[in-house]
Amino acid sequence: MDRRDFLKRSGAAVAGASGILSLHVLNSCAPEVAEAESPLAGTKWGMVIDLNRCREGCTACMEACRQENNVAFHGDRRWDVHWIRKATLHPTDDSAGREEKEVILMCNQCDDPPCAMVCPVQATYRRADGIVLVDHHRCIGCRYCMIACPYNARFFNWKENPDWPNKEYPRRSHGVAESCHFCAHLIDGGGRPACVEACEGVGARALIFGDLNDPESEVSRLVAAGGATRIRADFGTKPKVYYLGL
Amino acid sequence: MKRSTVLTEKNRGTWATVFAGLILLPVVLSLLKPLWAAEPDVFLEPADSRWESCLRDTEYMRFYHMDLLKEAREDVVRAGKKGGITLAGCGDCHQNRDLFCDRCHEKASVSLDCWGCHYYLTQEELQELEGHGGGGE
Repeated sequence: MDRRDFLKRSGAAVAGASGILSLHVLNSCAPEVAEAESPLAGTKWGMVIDLNRCREGCTACMEACRQENNVAFHGDRRWDVHWIRKATLHPTDDSAGREEKEVILMCNQCDDPPCAMVCPVQATYRRADGIVLVDHHRCIGCRYCMIACPYNARFFNWKENPDWPNKEYPRRSHGVAESCHFCAHLIDGGGRPACVEACEGVGARALIFGDLNDPESEVSRLVAAGGATRIRADFGTKPKVYYLGL
Repeated sequence: MKRSTVLTEKNRGTWATVFAGLILLPVVLSLLKPLWAAEPDVFLEPADSRWESCLRDTEYMRFYHMDLLKEAREDVVRAGKKGGITLAGCGDCHQNRDLFCDRCHEKASVSLDCWGCHYYLTQEELQELEGHGGGGE
């Protein structure tokens, strides 16, 4: 074997070995839980917000959310975090004649979530049961998700929450983004989101939560009955929060 | 060339001894260290009978607990599985974070950022809390 031959053969060997190695590495980087295999697959959690039943000035859902999820409230709008909030819609030229309306706004739990799509570290992701949530261990605080979200539903923790009402649930440290996750930790334990419980607690029942894949569930029936609208469904993000009386 | 007056044929052996001594000094010092400085025991937490019901034996937990915790984290956060091991579960038996976690990690220069989000108190914080008359959980 001359020098030229030796170089050719060793080059080929190195290329082959690195090819096999990179295939192996790529395989090991595949998502940990394939969607169909996940025990959560099959359900698709959704919410119907009946604005006709929502009481003006009532803040039960917002308070319950803060208590359950340790959502930061500093009393300064630069730093406050809201997973569920109320906004007032004012009539514009296009909607003249309509009254002012209080609307509950929250993460719309898109089935095609733009926040998860832009996340560079896959910290925000869509679980097999449709819930969009943030793995705060992975979040690098880049805030791309906040830019991508068409609903302004995501917030950044500029400061740690000074209060810690629910010790069973972690709070978020400074430097991560967050949003509503339908109280995934309660759902996993067989419960329902804190805001839904609170709304029932005050007797309004404006928030109705359930499985959109189950045709017998209340949410499915309300959606199938027609009249349920979604905010800016034309974006194509397939939100799973429906509104009645919007 | 001028001959050196410091290193000569005669004192060569002395210089060799001095250099060898300097090189070996740290080795000798570290061997003799137990004479004047006892190695601090980093595992200071007083043994508890409840440890017997731990997930694994103490030796395993000391060196591989992070693997168990990371696995549990993926299960809970990514796959939505409940009922696995939790940091709060560690706290059921090992009540002080400073003795149980911080002491070793400080010695090993591992900085933990678990406590920014997860509720697990140091001895000082626990006492402060009890002083205010409020139970932890």
